[in-house]
Amino acid sequence: MISFILRRVVYTVPIMLGVSLVCFALVHISPGDPLVSILPPDASVELQEQMMAIYGFDRSYPEQFMRWLGLAVQGDLGNSIATGRPVATEVFNAVGNTLILAVTATIIGFTLGGLFGFVAGYFRDSWIDKLATAISVIGVSVPHYWLGMVMVIIFSVELRWLPATGAGPGGSSQWVWDWEHMQYLILPAITMSVIPMGIVARTVRALVADILQQEFVAGLRAKGLLDRGVLAHVIKNAAPTALAVMGLQLGYLLGGSILIETVFSWPGTGFLLGQAIFQRDLPLLQGTILVLAMFFVILNLLVDVAQTALDPRLQRG
Amino acid sequence: MKTPILSAHNLVKHFNAGGFGAARKVVRAVDDVSFELARGETLGVVGESGCGKSTTARLLVQLLTPDSGGVRYDGKVVGPDMPLRAFRSKVQMVFQDSFASLNPRMTMIDAVAFGPSVHGVPKAEARRKAQGLLERVGLDPARFGGRYAHELSGGQRQRVNIARALAFDPQVIVLDEAVSALDKSVEAQVLNLLMDLRRERGLTYVFISHDLNVVRHISDRVMVMYLGEVAEIGPAERLYSEPRHPYTEALLAAMPSLDPDRRTLEAPLAGDPPNPIDPPPGCRFHTRCASAFGPCASKVPAPHSLGGGHVAACHLNSSKEHAA
Amino acid sequence: MAVTADSIAQLATVEKSRGYWRSVGARFLRDKVAVCAGLVAAGLILMAIFAPWIAPADPLDGSMIKRLSPIGTEGYPLGADELGRDMLSRLIHGARLSLFMGVVPVLIAFAIGGAIGIAAGYLGGWVNTITMRVLDVLYAFPSVLLAIAISGALGAGILNGLLSLTVVFIPPIARVAESVTTSVRKLEYIEAAQASGASSLRIVRDHVLGNVLGPIFVYATSLISVSMILAAGLSFLGLGVSPPNAEWGLMLNTLRNAIYVQPWLAALPGVMIFLTSISFNMLSDGLRSAMDVKQ
Repeated sequence: MISFILRRVVYTVPIMLGVSLVCFALVHISPGDPLVSILPPDASVELQEQMMAIYGFDRSYPEQFMRWLGLAVQGDLGNSIATGRPVATEVFNAVGNTLILAVTATIIGFTLGGLFGFVAGYFRDSWIDKLATAISVIGVSVPHYWLGMVMVIIFSVELRWLPATGAGPGGSSQWVWDWEHMQYLILPAITMSVIPMGIVARTVRALVADILQQEFVAGLRAKGLLDRGVLAHVIKNAAPTALAVMGLQLGYLLGGSILIETVFSWPGTGFLLGQAIFQRDLPLLQGTILVLAMFFVILNLLVDVAQTALDPRLQRG
Repeated sequence: MKTPILSAHNLVKHFNAGGFGAARKVVRAVDDVSFELARGETLGVVGESGCGKSTTARLLVQLLTPDSGGVRYDGKVVGPDMPLRAFRSKVQMVFQDSFASLNPRMTMIDAVAFGPSVHGVPKAEARRKAQGLLERVGLDPARFGGRYAHELSGGQRQRVNIARALAFDPQVIVLDEAVSALDKSVEAQVLNLLMDLRRERGLTYVFISHDLNVVRHISDRVMVMYLGEVAEIGPAERLYSEPRHPYTEALLAAMPSLDPDRRTLEAPLAGDPPNPIDPPPGCRFHTRCASAFGPCASKVPAPHSLGGGHVAACHLNSSKEHAA
Repeated sequence: MAVTADSIAQLATVEKSRGYWRSVGARFLRDKVAVCAGLVAAGLILMAIFAPWIAPADPLDGSMIKRLSPIGTEGYPLGADELGRDMLSRLIHGARLSLFMGVVPVLIAFAIGGAIGIAAGYLGGWVNTITMRVLDVLYAFPSVLLAIAISGALGAGILNGLLSLTVVFIPPIARVAESVTTSVRKLEYIEAAQASGASSLRIVRDHVLGNVLGPIFVYATSLISVSMILAAGLSFLGLGVSPPNAEWGLMLNTLRNAIYVQPWLAALPGVMIFLTSISFNMLSDGLRSAMDVKQ
């Protein structure tokens, strides 16, 4: 067990290295001069060369990569070309907001999804099942940025119950868990919860239906165990896979929040990413992607370990 | 002594089973196995699960490469002296799982015709040959040729597999538990088919099975394997009536009989078959052997010839205390 | 012909030999929901192909007087967008680019990812390990993030969008291909084919492909709706397709500010995306169930 964890952790290192390589390469596949946004168009050759030296663009690629990686590991992701502030600070501020959104969406999505899925699987093939399945299929098929727009239309424009954009009076840096702030959270969180809800519902349904079908459950029921006992048993067996799916979904939410955050102008990492793309702010783009991807990798690792801890059969040799 | 048509020389095959460095686990599936096959004879191979029968079969047919040791066809070493392709048309195999042996997307006639077409026979001719073979194994090509594997019964599928092996006009066929998965009545029919074919075509068989009765019925000689090694080998009748290895004795004693006089009161074999990952030192059978003594726990018994092609690897044979 | 107990029993159930795909087709046609979805999907595809002939007006032709006319205006059955162009025509034409961006990356990824996965699965050993590990690195990114990252780096444009989406889909398809091929490879009929002396290429062609392409293809079709939504998402962010092209995601982007003026008009392009996505999803689900029946 320990050896498995160790091996899994060790394996993450080359993945992280590969991920940073990809992040590094991304910026360098982009066409055009990276300094175009900083320098005035009539800058002299000396000035250009000076700037290149400062940013290190004049060295060879492997050298640049090592330099960038070395700094990144220490927490220095360079400075945003647009604002001049350190990328790490920008990202750090934004991450908090995204986490608030993502975690809330996760909780909503998993609870509802788990509930729907469980009910659908337990009462297999009944109308409850069909309804729940329909809801989850819709959840998976709907473009969530459009759903966000529709929510805004219904609740902000037509009904005027909730605000459409932003994260509250404190802007991006002051979040308080009071109604004044939370009203901004409701629409984006619900919108974001729809896709994970659909996927979790589908997975849980399949798991529950599968477990209930197994012969030893019939044995348990025949022994006269109350349905409650069977319930507990089903939950225990479904937990590992369900957890895995949930973990992955959380990761996707963290990485894929850009679209929702753009719709709702929620000042999180996704929004930051959007800004970076729009302004061609390459250090910011690079840094944000790196942080988000690393989050995802670590999350995957945790999910893998947790899953194996719950179900030792999953340990691969 | 005529050159054996097929011979195995000190075959060794180990598999990795996980673990690193000091904790590396190795499955010693086949450990120094040698035997010979004379033209036209049938060699039965018996042993419990995990004894290495199937691995040996695959090594013989060159589906696996041995870690050391080699296989010779007609005295020529496969690879250096005999090209693999030529070998393939001489030695074929029929597997235990009749369904998994057939491509679910191929018709039966195409499945049988595949072999010849690989060896350069034009398609139309290969098909004609396939039709003839299907007929020979008892399946009307008009009815069965266009069918798919899932539309046939187990026995019918195995007939197709036999036809497929015959399509190469081989000299040797290795049958790896080929009838074990069939119902008894079907098994008898397929066995009869195999024996007819053997007579008609002068085939040499390696017949692997865990069913001692069937093996006795069809084999000229029998080889008993235990945990990757050859325990005993010899003429069938001799082995069954005068076994010279405690394991063979135990296997024979464990055969259920309908004769009330031959009731078994105690299990002839004690304990579980040990792990091929960690075989016992010395004679691998010594932990379950009723007659184990002195050298058994430390010295690996060498194959001891008992005359007439009967060889057993047991210390009892080389010690003078063994009573005939 | 030898009369065996087997063949007599079989006489009772003699039926014309049916191919695997034919039985899949029959099962599929019995699934009403899937057939419905299939018809809708087919309808959308036809709409895209015949757009220039079906659309009442020129999708690029706009008159500022008519901008943001509501649904049901005279001459503009679904209203006009922020530049006065007829929504109905733009929606119909939008199908072309949106479906294109949905299907093409998946097709290309199917070809490339499938080849990589099948090769890795059949060859096994270190080839497999290295290939899958490299793919794991790409897999380590959430797909949305990767698509946006590559698009963001390359800049806007249809070609860049296609490229980034294709790259996003290659790893999952390759993974499925590898896994299916590996499980097929262990079966005895592959061993029998190897024992026949056939070359690896021939075995892959004659024995592996037929059994492997089906599941991979079905998995790939399930990605079409994802690709469409992702492509529209890219356009929504200003990457991918650029104005004045008609594409549903782009339309959602440009109409965003109009939600305060003509909310339901602004939501229309999303309805199309949703409709397409759900019909392709159900179609793919239906296909998967039809193929899944154990014999």
